[in-house]
Parts: sequence; C-alpha cells; structure tokens
Amino acid sequence: MIAQYTGGEQYYGTNWMQIVLVLIFSIFIILNIRRAEAGKRSGKHIFIRRIAGLNAIDEAIGRATEMGKPVLMVPGIGTLSAVSVQALNIFGHVTRSAARFATPIRLCCADAAVYTVAQEIIGEVYQSEGLSERYDQDSVQFVSDRQFAFATGVSGIIHREKVAAAFFLGEFFAESLIFAETANAVGAIQVAGSTQNTQTPFFIAACDYVLISDEFYAASAYLSRQPVLLGSLVGQDWIKMSMMAITVLGVFGNSCERAFTKATEGPDKKVYATPRTKSASELTMTKFVSIEPVPEDMVPKREDKPSETPKTEEGAQ
Amino acid sequence: MLAQFVARGGSADARNWAFIWFLIGVAVVVTLSRTPSQFRRHVVTAFTFSAGLLYVLSWLWPKPAGYSPSQIPVNGVETAGAKIAEGVTMMGSILQVIQGVLLFLGVYSVLRIHGGRLTKMRKDWQYSAALLVAMFTMIIVGYWDFRDSRINPNVVSAENWGFAQYAKDFLFDGLLQTMDAAMFSIIAFFILNAAYRAFRIRSVEATVLLATALIVMLALMGGVEYASGEFVNRVTRDDPGHFFNNFSLTAIRTWIGAVFQQPSIRGLEWGIGIGALSMGLRLWLNMERGLSS
Repeated sequence: MIAQYTGGEQYYGTNWMQIVLVLIFSIFIILNIRRAEAGKRSGKHIFIRRIAGLNAIDEAIGRATEMGKPVLMVPGIGTLSAVSVQALNIFGHVTRSAARFATPIRLCCADAAVYTVAQEIIGEVYQSEGLSERYDQDSVQFVSDRQFAFATGVSGIIHREKVAAAFFLGEFFAESLIFAETANAVGAIQVAGSTQNTQTPFFIAACDYVLISDEFYAASAYLSRQPVLLGSLVGQDWIKMSMMAITVLGVFGNSCERAFTKATEGPDKKVYATPRTKSASELTMTKFVSIEPVPEDMVPKREDKPSETPKTEEGAQ
Repeated sequence: MLAQFVARGGSADARNWAFIWFLIGVAVVVTLSRTPSQFRRHVVTAFTFSAGLLYVLSWLWPKPAGYSPSQIPVNGVETAGAKIAEGVTMMGSILQVIQGVLLFLGVYSVLRIHGGRLTKMRKDWQYSAALLVAMFTMIIVGYWDFRDSRINPNVVSAENWGFAQYAKDFLFDGLLQTMDAAMFSIIAFFILNAAYRAFRIRSVEATVLLATALIVMLALMGGVEYASGEFVNRVTRDDPGHFFNNFSLTAIRTWIGAVFQQPSIRGLEWGIGIGALSMGLRLWLNMERGLSS
C-alpha cells in the first residue's frame, strides 16, 4: 500500500530546495544591509558602477528647465506593487530636482492605488523641499485604467504639452512603444526601464537611455546612497554569484553523472539488463532545482465537507 | 474560524456585515487621520508586517497536496494550512475592496482636472468636454444595462435586447473596443520607425544587432527559408549527419535563440526577480525609506 503524503507539496522530494535557496538569499540581503549600516558608521563606502540612464536624469531636467516645458513621468500600467513603488521612488528623486528649478511635472497613472501613492510621494517631496506653493495638484493625474485609453491619453499629453523629458519606468506592455515613439516625435529626452523583458527591446530601439533588468532596482541605491539600499544591492550581487556557482556546479555535476553513471531502470520502472545513459530529468542536480508534483496515489483521501444552504433574502441572487 | 466572517454574496448577513465594516472603516480612517504621524507610521508598519507575514506563512507552511476547500483536512497541519489559505483569500478580498475605494479617487482626479479645464475654458477644453460626455454616457448606459439584467435575466440574449443593451453594445464593442484595436495597430508603424533608427549602422553593437535581426527575419520568411534549406540539402546531398546542415538559416536562427537569446532573457529575469525579492523584503521589514523622505 502506498503511504499518504501530508508533508506539504512544497517539501515533497527535492522541492524543499527552492525554499532553502530563497531563505538563504533573503539572509544574504539582510546580512549585507547590516554590514552596509556598520560600514557607514566606520566610514567605508560601497562602490556602484556608473549607470548612464540615471546620470541622464539631471541632464533631462536641465533641458526641460531651459525649454520651459514639463517633465513627463509614467510608472507603467501595473497595479501597486514593488515595481510601481520603485518607479515612484525614482520619480520622487526626479521631482525633487524639478521642484528646485521650478520645472513643471506631469505624472500619469493607470492605476488608482498607484495614483494615490504617487500623489502622497510627490506632495511630500515639494513639502520637504519647502516649496509647497510650487506643487500643482493636477500634475499627478489618473488617466484611465484601460491600456490603450491610457496610451492615447498620455500620447495626447506628450503632443499637446510638448514635454522636454520623459521617464517611463515600471511595468509596461504593448503601449511602451506608443509612448516612446510619441515622445521621440516631439524631441523629448527619454529614460526608460521596464521589468517586462518583452518591452525592453522596444525601449532600447526608441529611447535615449534604458535601465535594463535589475538596474531598475539598483536605481534608488545609486541615487540616494542609503546604506540599506546599498547593502541590499551587495546582497543581490552575492545571490548572483551564488547562482553562477550553482549553475557551474550543476553543469559539471550533471556532465560527470551522465559520463560515469548509467541507469538500469527504464521510465516504466522495470529493470533492464542493458544500462542506458540517464536522461536530463534523471540527473541529481536537475532534480534539486525541479518542482516535483505529489503523485496522485499519494494524495490523502479526504472527506467532503457537508454542504451549507445559504440564508438569502427573497429575490436575491 | 474565518468562515463566520464570510457571508454569502447578496444575503442579508452580507449587507449587515458590509455596513458594519464600512462603519469600522470610516472610524479607523478618522482615528488614523487624527493621530500623530509617528504613531500612524507604527500602525501602518504593523499592518504591513502582519499582512506580509500571512503570505510568508502561506508559502512556508506545508500546503496540503491536492486539497480543495470543499474537503475536510486530514490532520492538524492540513487544518492550519487550510486556515492560512482562507486568510490569504480574505486578504485578497480586502485588497479588492481597497482598490474599489481607490478607484473613486481616480475618477475624482479625472473629474477635477477635466471639469476644472472645462469650467474655466482653459486651452484644449474641447477634449475635456468630449472625455466627460463619453465617461458619463458610458456610466449611465452601463448601469442601465446592469439594472435591466438584474430585473430580467433573459435580457442577456440578443433577441430580448432593449435600448440600453443596443446602446451599450454600440458604445463598448462598437466604439471602445474598435478604438482600442486601432491604437494597438498603430504599434506596427511605430515598430518600423523605431527599427529603422535602431538598425542604422552607427557602432559595432548596432551592426551586430542589424546582422542578427536580418538572419532571424530572413529565416522567418517562408520562401527564403525554403531556398536556404534546398541549398544546404544540395551541398550535403541530403545527409542529415553532414556538418554543413548547421548553416541553414533555420539552424542559425535556432542557434541564436538557444545560445544567445534564451540565456540572456533568463539572466535579465534573474536580475529582476532578485531585485523584486530585495525590494519586497525591505518593504515588508519596513527598511524602505524611499528617495522622497
């Protein structure tokens, strides 16, 4: 008789490896944040390589100031998440520079929650700079939560106001190229970055500067040099190095296993006299990082709950 | 345990609970707005941490294999796992309610900006007028159609349609969807324009990009791909083991995809994933201070 498995599907077989890896990675990040904080107290500085897209922020704002045209910021069409919060963080920095030079800004949102947070952040920036009187509440606006209605609205703003600089940072989809090409048509300097890899090539083709992959997340550390952010960036580098090591180890381990060991059991679980070369899914290192579903025959037999009759008002659905 | 807080949609209980929670929500908002910002920050931090903890627990706690909410868990671990899953579902509902409330703020923003432009007859007021007329027409017709379908469910079939259904169909499917599609189709022209600028030979990178794109594009053209395959077959004399088979356009395109494109995309996705993990940890543990503070 096959035993029932009640240990949790994420711990079945080698599935636990994924949880262990994420826990180790989280420890890397927290450990490095603590190290960076300690380093700041002892006067040690962490080096971050130059990121052209972020250096261009001041250049773009300077151009907008000279032309007397607004700076446009779009945090993508995603909902409120780590991505949009990060985009708004960078926009907070852009707004600070724009506020100092009295350069008008336009921040267009496609999500009501992002809009609310954006309003708070932008208002706070003007307040912290002591320039509350320069803050125009209409500069942060909710355009539409429909993808192409939003694209049309933002394109209209770009054309009508002839924006001098455009920042497209966040989650973008098919509308990315509409924004980038429209801003290019009015001659705006564009800095873009998307967490959607399918859109990054469009931005690279159409924009002046592009933040690729985790440069988007590194931006806040680069701009603020806060120890917490710098530390987590170093933690991310540790994770990347660990992953590289695991990949090399995996390739080496799997190659050796395939070269020096043979399988005698077939896919039908029968033992054959002639040993065969192992398939990719049978290799130990592959198994370590593969998700294995709990077999049907090991799923516990459970009884159904008694059905409840809902109390409803007459006529209610 | 959580089931007693969940009333069936449309029931008297649900309405009572909705009203009670609405009052509690108003009370919480009023209380929070009157408390010092330092204290408010602690409340927000505690709430964020608790909500995050629920998701972390649901990820770490053993998930019952093949379990559905209509089943009875077999032991204590499964029972706790089912309760955590219920909590996560409830948290999702709370988020939906919050987003629903926030949508009003979004609509208010649209009304304030475009209403102000219209009443003060500022530049481009005509666009604002068109937007507000379109928005209110859609709201009225949409609600009218919804109300009709509640009173008479048969109205969903086309033969029973009345004015509201025809109007909604015309506005939504006839206009809005079509305009969406038109906007989407514009991308084709933008791609052409952007590709022309990107592929101009200005640097080594642009030249490599141009050459790679050219190979991939040619390999996707049926006629060219056929001709290339035929040429390779002639050279190799249909020998599948011949080394020259690696030089057909299809083989080169597959090689570019497998050796350059896929690993690069995986690398980029890794970077984004790690960045999101780091950002999520900072937000959950209240370490994120932002650049505006």
